[in-house]
Amino acid sequence: MFLDILKKDIQRKKTMNVILLLFTILASMFVSSGLSNVVSVLNGTDYFFDLAGVGDYVVITQNKDSGVEEILKNSENVEEYWKEEVCWATCSDMSFNGEPLHLGNTISVFQALNDQYAFFDSNNHRLEKIQPGEVFFTVGVMEETGIHIGDEVEVNYHGVSMRLKVAGSVKDALMGSEMFGNKRFLFSDEDYQKLKSEESRDYTGEIFNIRVHDIGQLKTALSSAHHVLFEGERSMFSLSYVMESIVALIVLILSLCLCIVSFVLMKFAISFTIHEEFREIGVMKAIGIKNRKIRSLYMVKYLACALTGGVIGFIAGIPFGNFLMKSVSKKMVLGNDQGFLLNVCGAVFVVLVTIGFAYFCTRDVKKLTPIDAIRSGSTGERYKKKRKVSLKRSPLPNAVRLAINDILSSPKRYVTVILSFFLFSIFVFGLVEVTDTMKSDSLTYTFGKPSDMYIEASVILDRLPYNDMEVISEKGNVILPEMLTTIEQDLQKMNIPGHASVEMQYKYWVTAGEYSFNVSCEQNAYVDTSLYRFSEGSAPQNAGEIAVTEMVADDLHVQIGDTVEIDFGTEKKECMVVAYFQSLNQLGNVILLHQDAPTDMKYAAAYNDFQVDFDDHPDAKTIEERIKMVQAYYGSDKVKDAAQFCVDCLGVVDIMDAVKYLLLVITLVVLILVTILMEHSFIHEEKSQIAMLKAIGFKDRFIVKWHTYRFLIVTFIAEILAIALTYPITKLWCDPIWSMMGCTEVDYYFNPLSVMVIYPCIILAVSILTACLTVQSTRKIKCTDARNNE
Amino acid sequence: MNTNTKSNKTILEVKDLCKTYVVEKRQNNVLMNVNFTIEEGEMVAIMGPSGCGKSTLLYSVSGMDVPTSGSVKFAGEELTNMKADELASLRLDKMGFIFQQMYMMKNLTILDNILLPALESKKSEENKAEKTARAEALMRKLSIIDVADNDINEVSGGQLQRACICRSMMNNPKVLFADEPTGALNRASSTEVMDELVKLNSEGTTIMMVTHDARVAAKCSRVLYMLDGNIKAEYIRPQEEGLTEKDYERRLNHWLMELGW
Repeated sequence: MFLDILKKDIQRKKTMNVILLLFTILASMFVSSGLSNVVSVLNGTDYFFDLAGVGDYVVITQNKDSGVEEILKNSENVEEYWKEEVCWATCSDMSFNGEPLHLGNTISVFQALNDQYAFFDSNNHRLEKIQPGEVFFTVGVMEETGIHIGDEVEVNYHGVSMRLKVAGSVKDALMGSEMFGNKRFLFSDEDYQKLKSEESRDYTGEIFNIRVHDIGQLKTALSSAHHVLFEGERSMFSLSYVMESIVALIVLILSLCLCIVSFVLMKFAISFTIHEEFREIGVMKAIGIKNRKIRSLYMVKYLACALTGGVIGFIAGIPFGNFLMKSVSKKMVLGNDQGFLLNVCGAVFVVLVTIGFAYFCTRDVKKLTPIDAIRSGSTGERYKKKRKVSLKRSPLPNAVRLAINDILSSPKRYVTVILSFFLFSIFVFGLVEVTDTMKSDSLTYTFGKPSDMYIEASVILDRLPYNDMEVISEKGNVILPEMLTTIEQDLQKMNIPGHASVEMQYKYWVTAGEYSFNVSCEQNAYVDTSLYRFSEGSAPQNAGEIAVTEMVADDLHVQIGDTVEIDFGTEKKECMVVAYFQSLNQLGNVILLHQDAPTDMKYAAAYNDFQVDFDDHPDAKTIEERIKMVQAYYGSDKVKDAAQFCVDCLGVVDIMDAVKYLLLVITLVVLILVTILMEHSFIHEEKSQIAMLKAIGFKDRFIVKWHTYRFLIVTFIAEILAIALTYPITKLWCDPIWSMMGCTEVDYYFNPLSVMVIYPCIILAVSILTACLTVQSTRKIKCTDARNNE
Repeated sequence: MNTNTKSNKTILEVKDLCKTYVVEKRQNNVLMNVNFTIEEGEMVAIMGPSGCGKSTLLYSVSGMDVPTSGSVKFAGEELTNMKADELASLRLDKMGFIFQQMYMMKNLTILDNILLPALESKKSEENKAEKTARAEALMRKLSIIDVADNDINEVSGGQLQRACICRSMMNNPKVLFADEPTGALNRASSTEVMDELVKLNSEGTTIMMVTHDARVAAKCSRVLYMLDGNIKAEYIRPQEEGLTEKDYERRLNHWLMELGW
């Protein structure tokens, strides 16, 4: 009989059982994929770097005779090291459709595959072989240049010319991130040997990956090496993936949100179905079946549901999790060594929680009595009065009043919906706010002195007989002023009064007591340093004063008023720290030098876009017009405003946009699912009321309005809450991320149109449309159903 | 006791009404060529054994269910040609309904439940205050004004059914359809409800009700006895003077026994 009751229950209450099963599947899918993704994201770059073969310390040299290998060989501190041979090139050494590749002001690396260091394809498989005539780009380069697989590029490198087919994109642990300036191009062994001609001998270099006991000792030992272009700890390379990590972190938060929502909904579904059973439970009690037996009957049902849902959710969670990870880790290999074990654990966890919830909810079986069966769930006892909107007083239409009444009468179930919608909305709005901030000029000050217009160096280099490599060399002392003069002369021709300047990045050894580091120092020698923005202290007034970021201050253990020694190459100089400033350059590891500091282009590492300040301080509209004029003059769109400059510097706005839309889509899918499932539950529960309303003359339209208004109201509440809390909540989760990148105080750009109108309206519209479409099923409920239903 | 105000004006005319359900490819003819009329001011009871088609007849003639064939004219209007929305408007404005189970909106108070159809109807030009006053007057008349602001689970079955009667009367219906109105009530509540229905009838409301209870049917001016989907016999309440309610009940019971009830 026990099984018969169960069988009948499953057949008769098909709708509610299917709803419960769907909730369990969703929970299992989200939790199993979420758990695996959380571990993958927490593993972060370490997993990727281990797979690729990145050492504890990395040294990149510009010349084979750097002496680094000798130091490593003779150091007992070094556990092991492996090196890659590379050719240094400029991006313009490679062209596509007759146009040189413009990848910012960066130096590129040409090299072949080797055994020690691994590159990965889009499926995270190691790239084993490159055929002659083929070249592989990093994912970032593919995105930036718009070149596709199968396109042909031309290489003209120190007298060697070849046409190569772009065979694919790779994930490169060391140089694959947007924040790492140098781009790597991979050639076959045969083609690479051709590139290594006698003429290019001076442009070869090495990349050393070193496994070491004491990094501090190694740094000191390496101070005698020459031609070191870059050196840094593994953690520094990890930091260059901070934006990718942020995106992955978003997936982590999303997974957690999905888990929370799943459990909240499942609790609702179980509790709801149990309370739907009052008649059956009452009847069973009336005929003498004991509580324990009744409870076990429902437990068997929920166990079957949990197991089925768990298994289906586990299977569905694998592609879902992979899809999420793939969409956010285009440049990284995110993963974990546990394989599907975590997915299994997630699914098992959901099954256990479902059973736990079911056990918890079936406690109510004890409360239900035979009277419930007789009196339709009411024992005649008076409970707390329900809050209501009286029809006789409210001026609202009937359907709205009924909807409000329902929400006020059963707040718990609607809080479930509000919480689900709120969680996702606030997350979407937060991401919108962060992306809008990245697209605005709010962050300009973190990339140097804010200017009116920015011009990429390639625009000017195209008009002069120089290349990037020459600019960042001793010759730069002459070339750079010539480039600035060219810009100013061009501006004069256009009758635009303005001055050009450029911010240079130098690498200098900076010593403060026992602490000594190779630090990036920035200087715009053509503007007054007081035009920078400082968070504390006062602007450097002379060459002996500097400003530091809080990160550098922490590393060097200095504060305002302390003195550090900077080895400018040409001279060593004592400089006093007079201010703190914020910078997203070099992930905040930057010192700002006074415009008169004794820098030399010989020690230059990179330079930013050329900056133009208009002398007549025009308004925004005039700036925009002038930028268009300059763009037309140079025939290039690489003349930009401050906002576009920030977008280019951050380099992740496109990814953030993609993640934002992905999140919006997931939010809408969850919202649609929740709305459909909840609305079906409500319709199921209110079938007799709907039939009665129809019987006494209410039209289908009224029922549709009544049910749709409920979702409109709860979604509206969720959206208002989300809008109100977007700023503080975004600050809460995003500020630590900015500070990891070197910026502790961010002025978020609040775009009321997107945060208050577009996105809330999309969510609201989808919710209303889904509710409206779902409630159409009530049209099938007939007046005569009033007599068939409880 | 019964003071019918029959006006000899036909309010409901049913001709050759058929209703067939198809269950698992098997035809089930619930109503077979049913013919009858109800005059304005009549109080008609439909009786018969379970499954004979009483409720189906009630739902078919009130526009809640669609008959398979035949004609139903309500106040001269053919219901079978009407669209769903037209039927809904007709039910809202011109008909009243009372069900065995006292269906009400569970999140509304008793007063709001009664008020709801009046607020939805566009028939009357009364404002909300006037409608509320009328609802309260009806509740007072049926002695449930004290529970106006109560939840529906805070009142007795009899009070709830009287509230259903108030709701059904809010739009001044031409006919009140009642399906076993006392079926879920105890004897005392049943008497109260029937007294109210009789009172409404005496004030001019036409009533058509389905009932199993001969005591209830005895208060009606006419009883139609159904068997196997058709009206088998008709009983008209005797108009002789000096008869008590017990006499009416006894005579009806006798008639029913002859029919094999």
